[in-house]
Amino acid sequence: MAVKDKLKTDLFPTIWCPGCGIGLIMAQLATVMDELGLDKNNTVLVTGIGCTGRMGAYMNFESVYTLHGRTLPVAEAIKMVRPELHVLVVSGDGDLASIGGNHLLHSIRRNPNITVLCNNNEIYGLTGGQTGPTTPQGTNTISSPAGATYTPINLQGVVNTNPNAYYAKTTVYHQGAMKKAIREAIEWPGFSFVDIASQCIENNGRRIGFASANDMLQSYRTEYKAAPPGTTHLEPHQTGIIKGQPLPVAGTARSGNGSGE
Amino acid sequence: MTKRLVQGNEAVLLGAIKAGASHFAGYPISPSSEILAQASVYASKHPEFHFLQEEDEIASANAILGASLAGAKSFTATSGPGFSLMQEAIGYGHKVGIPCVIVNVMRVGPATGMPTMPGQGDLNQTRYGSTGDYTSFVFYPSTVAECYEYTIHAFNAAEETRSPVIILSDAFLGHLNEVADLDTIDVPVVPRTIEPLASGGTRLFSGVATYADGEPATADADEYIRQYRESRDQRLKVAEKYAFYEYGWNKDAETLVIAFGITRRIAQPLAPHFALFRPIRIWPTLDRELTEIAARYKKIIVIEGSDGQYANVVERMLLRRVERVPLLGGRMSLEAIREGLDAIGMLPAQPAPSGSESPARVG
Repeated sequence: MAVKDKLKTDLFPTIWCPGCGIGLIMAQLATVMDELGLDKNNTVLVTGIGCTGRMGAYMNFESVYTLHGRTLPVAEAIKMVRPELHVLVVSGDGDLASIGGNHLLHSIRRNPNITVLCNNNEIYGLTGGQTGPTTPQGTNTISSPAGATYTPINLQGVVNTNPNAYYAKTTVYHQGAMKKAIREAIEWPGFSFVDIASQCIENNGRRIGFASANDMLQSYRTEYKAAPPGTTHLEPHQTGIIKGQPLPVAGTARSGNGSGE
Repeated sequence: MTKRLVQGNEAVLLGAIKAGASHFAGYPISPSSEILAQASVYASKHPEFHFLQEEDEIASANAILGASLAGAKSFTATSGPGFSLMQEAIGYGHKVGIPCVIVNVMRVGPATGMPTMPGQGDLNQTRYGSTGDYTSFVFYPSTVAECYEYTIHAFNAAEETRSPVIILSDAFLGHLNEVADLDTIDVPVVPRTIEPLASGGTRLFSGVATYADGEPATADADEYIRQYRESRDQRLKVAEKYAFYEYGWNKDAETLVIAFGITRRIAQPLAPHFALFRPIRIWPTLDRELTEIAARYKKIIVIEGSDGQYANVVERMLLRRVERVPLLGGRMSLEAIREGLDAIGMLPAQPAPSGSESPARVG
């Protein structure tokens, strides 16, 4: 199988704006899927609402394009019914961390053996560029003309409330590190979350002073530094991986009474 | 043959299991919580039955959609406030075509309202709660045995319509203990109608309007209308097989009482004085059946646990005025019904003897 067999290239060009970072994630995901032997018979994609949610439509897999914010309950249920499947959630920061934030808290707690790829562009892109849960404080958006008021959500902290989870912070500029993180996350026995900084030039970047998508990519190159080996907590603008203690037998709890597998 | 005391909520769970359900996701809420608790007990003894107590009703409703797509017959149970939270997911189930069952054990609303008191105020919510146009299937049993029976029908209808089907109950019916022999109730079970996920295809299950190939159809009215009418017509055709109602009491009386769910049971002592029409399938409405029966009566009284939700439906359906006996605030009793009848000048002159006949059904 070739990587392009993972994609519905007949539907290209995608709806994503020129310069969008989502395609860079899809390309690495398709590559990892090819390497790990993920195919339409053993893998299901669950995507949320937002630009990132369209990814399911462009890949040669069964995919569930859920309601806004509801990827995790759907993905967890699929994994419970079909534990043999790889269940991958692909969505954006607004979908996962804001409207879906409660599900994120509780899915993490239950440690289902699913993988979440978060296209973190720090903005609500599809709706035109409103402040999101990850928007840095002070950022000018179309819903925060005087700058975003609050500090962004701490996704690393949320994910690491589960001591058995996998959390990686990477960027679309760091393609090798991103690919490694996606691969490790899929192989991780339990909940895994890859937080990928990704540019939205059209509905965020230009407003905050970037001339092009390339300028945004270059800013990831200069601003993000790899955390030293053994790091247990990533600082802002550090890339790296925080691995919890993997459970010997991963799986979704079958019973709410605590009788996990 | 095992006659025993069964609770209404328990009968719903047993009906679901009988129908082949293997996935329950829910969140505690009175007066439905026995279904959740007993599902957890069942799951602890039957590893093939999945149970998950979710973080909220939004998760519950979305989880049963995912479970159904993955291959399991799935269900949840809730009451008014939780049912409100499920509305968006119900619309998704209708749009995408996902069989599943939602049990709504009604209490008094709006909002948190009166959590342990019976109500019937969610009829409109079962029909119009989500956004846009869709075709709801809703059944409302009247006895504990019927809770079992119509839950099986609900799972069957969900498969045949490929949509979320709703079982209505209420705080009285859900907590009612009655002697029943569920083994004697034989409803053939409809097998799964959708191919489970990862069966070799590359389908896109999308709440967004899309063409068959997955491309967005978000500005194509013709495609929208085609898809909508196709699902509506298919569901209305299936409805013909599920035209459940009861027509009885004193059919020679001049007045027809319409009552459903627990209200029909409470109104039983009125049997000598009125004819009775009891819709068991609340939605789609039983237009043909009720129109034909109602034509035989000079007057129609709708007795219900809301301020006219079903009475409005009947008036619009029949294009004639109906009398109303609303039972509000959880005051669902024979005394309240008598007061309501008195208020509209329809109280029978003779004290009605208390009847004990079992509901007779058609369909």
